[in-house]
Amino acid sequence: MGKYVERFNARERILHWFVMLSFFMLVFSGLGLYSRIFHGYFDLFGGGEAAIFIHKYMGVVFFVSSILLFLNHYKEMNSFDEDDRRWFRLLGGYLDRDPEHINSGKFNAGQKAYGLFMGIATILLGVTGFINWFPASFPIGIVRLSLLLHGTLFLIFIMFVIVHAYLTTIGNPGTLESMIYGNVRRIWAKTHHPKWYKEISGQ
Amino acid sequence: MAESRMAFLIDTSRCIGCRSCQVACKQWNKLDADKTVNQGTYENPRDLTSNLYNRIRFIEKTDGGNLKWLFLNERCVHCGDAGCMKVCPSPGALYRTREGFVAFNAEKCISCKYCVSACPFGVPRYGADEKVSKCHLCFDRIGAGMSPACAKACPTQTLQYGPRSGLVAKAKAAKKTLYGEADLAGLGVLYLLDDKPEVYGLPANPSIPTSIFLWKDVLKPLGLIGFWGSIVGVLTHYVTFGPRKLEEENSEKGGGAHG
Repeated sequence: MGKYVERFNARERILHWFVMLSFFMLVFSGLGLYSRIFHGYFDLFGGGEAAIFIHKYMGVVFFVSSILLFLNHYKEMNSFDEDDRRWFRLLGGYLDRDPEHINSGKFNAGQKAYGLFMGIATILLGVTGFINWFPASFPIGIVRLSLLLHGTLFLIFIMFVIVHAYLTTIGNPGTLESMIYGNVRRIWAKTHHPKWYKEISGQ
Repeated sequence: MAESRMAFLIDTSRCIGCRSCQVACKQWNKLDADKTVNQGTYENPRDLTSNLYNRIRFIEKTDGGNLKWLFLNERCVHCGDAGCMKVCPSPGALYRTREGFVAFNAEKCISCKYCVSACPFGVPRYGADEKVSKCHLCFDRIGAGMSPACAKACPTQTLQYGPRSGLVAKAKAAKKTLYGEADLAGLGVLYLLDDKPEVYGLPANPSIPTSIFLWKDVLKPLGLIGFWGSIVGVLTHYVTFGPRKLEEENSEKGGGAHG
């Protein structure tokens, strides 16, 4: 029996890298549009017009890859059982130095909620982004609301991403490998996702 | 801006609808003519364009069987608290002149069109060059000691240019409806109206759109708190509750940790 089990296949990993890289391109090209205090970030792209250009087309890349990733994992997130309720009750054990055992599946309840948010936010950011791209084609009230919504979703999004980046790297050692090589150690799977480990290993 | 602020006072009752202001503006600013169509009204053109910084709005009012015209010189009103400047992400694209007006620099405009959404008066226009355009109150003429082209051309002194405080005092003495004295930190273009603002197509209580206010004055500070709060939050978690270390692989205990 090998030391590792596969967690994400190559397709899932590549999709996630597309989502991640396009997301960061969107953040840096969009910051200057969010507020004038971030005007300096335009210089990374050679000025505001170039940043807007990148932002629009990166938005398309992000939208497509994020939706594909969401659909790819949908069936693994589309459930909510007693163990998931327990995860929320105990906040995943993250506010406890010696946490209780939680019998999570491939994705725990927090990850399911995060994935669901990402799917909804991607659609809303895509729709509002499209409206902001062609403001003359929509009623002014819709464009005003769309600008506000786009900024609000961005803000919530980036806060989630910070937590996501923490929990999948230094917060839970051994997790990052799943996004690089696709494999995780058996002990990792047993510790974090015992129900899933049981399904795939039969033990 | 307060003491030396200049302004326009537009006394609508003096206007005869000759549109000299439209023509003078086009001439000075070298703006091309727009092709228009006869729509059965003397009002022409029917809307501001990227080649038309001001125009006369013709309001037809029936008064006991008699038709009456109201004329309004429509243009950027140079708000003291300007939504377009608030929302513009490109410093210098829209800027305040020494006289207190809002001018633009097309070279710095990045074509985001946010100013269109932020303007309470629906003024900014984008042409084929995808750059902002609107009345800049002839900052170039004023800088050279001349009066704005439209005011210079007006034969009835409907358009009066001068120190704002003096014009406000003059307008108050006329005992007519003065529009724009205090709205949006005071408009740079004040109107003397013969009727309610709505009749002229002006918003009764102009203000920066709520969604723009929420974005710039609420979401922005919240965003800074949210972003840095998240970073501080996860780092604090790291040094308090700590990372979720895996148990030794040969201990074979498995559970005991979260999921």
